[in-house]
Amino acid sequence: MNPSNLNPSKLEQFGASMLEHLPPVKAPDRIWTAVEAALDRPPVRRRRWTHLLVPLAAAAALVYWAIPRHGVRWDVVRIHGAEHVTGKIAAGQWIETDGGSRATVTVGSIGTVDVSPNTKLRVVATKPGDHRFALSRGEIHATISAPPRLFFVETASGTAVDLGCEYSLRSGEDGEGLLQVTRGWVSFQWNGVESLVPAGASCRTRAEGGPGIPYFDDASESFRQALDNPTSLDTVLSAARARDTLSLWHLLWRVPPADRARVYDRMAALTPVPEGVSRDLALRLDPATLARWKDELAWTW
Amino acid sequence: MSRLGIALLALAAAGLLAGEDFTFTLASPVAAQDFRFKMAAFVFRTEGCAEPAKPEVTATAEGVVAGVRRSVAVQVMATGKPGIFAVGQTWPPEGKWLVNLKGVCGAHRAGALVPMNEKGFIRESAKFFPRPATTGEIEASLKAHSEGGKK
Repeated sequence: MNPSNLNPSKLEQFGASMLEHLPPVKAPDRIWTAVEAALDRPPVRRRRWTHLLVPLAAAAALVYWAIPRHGVRWDVVRIHGAEHVTGKIAAGQWIETDGGSRATVTVGSIGTVDVSPNTKLRVVATKPGDHRFALSRGEIHATISAPPRLFFVETASGTAVDLGCEYSLRSGEDGEGLLQVTRGWVSFQWNGVESLVPAGASCRTRAEGGPGIPYFDDASESFRQALDNPTSLDTVLSAARARDTLSLWHLLWRVPPADRARVYDRMAALTPVPEGVSRDLALRLDPATLARWKDELAWTW
Repeated sequence: MSRLGIALLALAAAGLLAGEDFTFTLASPVAAQDFRFKMAAFVFRTEGCAEPAKPEVTATAEGVVAGVRRSVAVQVMATGKPGIFAVGQTWPPEGKWLVNLKGVCGAHRAGALVPMNEKGFIRESAKFFPRPATTGEIEASLKAHSEGGKK
């Protein structure tokens, strides 16, 4: 990183992160001896700069005190009825709301997180490249405007990775919950399983099971219920609309290999398969092929 | 029909087909795969333009607010990907609105009328033309949209 290329706010973040990594070093005794000797001497021309010593020391102490040693602190507003209490929160600290309170956290310079009542949330990291919470229970609403993969929310059933988005995430202590995306994309990841959830879609999260199959919120109830039942593939395929290729694309990865061709064929019947997507490679779950297909399918979502 | 007549007919058909090839595909902002445009009203890409970086696209929003006909300039933003554009919402939330898209690719023209509602664009009601929409087509679509139909 070249600090000369950074804008003032980035430069400030860069400086803060550098300071975090500087170990405290005791000044050698000879410095104090020299300082005392200098103070003992009669006032000479050096007085022009020595009179700055005290304010400089005070300023240095103020800077040292003001910059936290464990990352940047974020603004938080705790709201209980009409009462608003503003404060700061740092990595490692908790926000807990009861049935009558809520809170809003300003996440650095990239967005906000609204904390609903009955929620327990921990700030995990406040670094410029890693804005991270852990949602123990309850619900949050995140509004983030930043490049992908700078904002993360961990839950018992996986991690929501912001891909430039706005979303609500609800989770119980066991990890059962729901992710609802209103703008952009969110990736929900757990043990190598990933669900990509675009705006207008939701994804259930399951204890010990990670993210479920995402679905558009306007999908039929029968389609949504069938997605939760591994034995209901026939219902899923017959009830799917063109837009439900979002769910079918995820099913390709997760159904048993023997069922994969049925999913592929249903997708191909609902929307034209684009150039560069071969049936053979798709059935072999070639990542580049399926990424290409997903990007093209997104034009129908 | 003479051979010359058949040849002319074939040429005319080919010309028509070539003109129809240049068109728009509409999508939700997620299709642009770019966080900078997640707030867009919708995104679109040009199809059938030999040089995707070359098409010129413009748009206006045509609406009716409290019975008064209004037109508003629309911001069409080029994304980082050739031929893919985002439409920012510049029209007010109240009233009934549609976006009138116009495109030029060399000698070819394309147009589209895209009805909007509070959730975004209404894909199934969008209309596409091998030229800019006429005033009559705009007014008819706006009337149908205002009445809640899909004309």
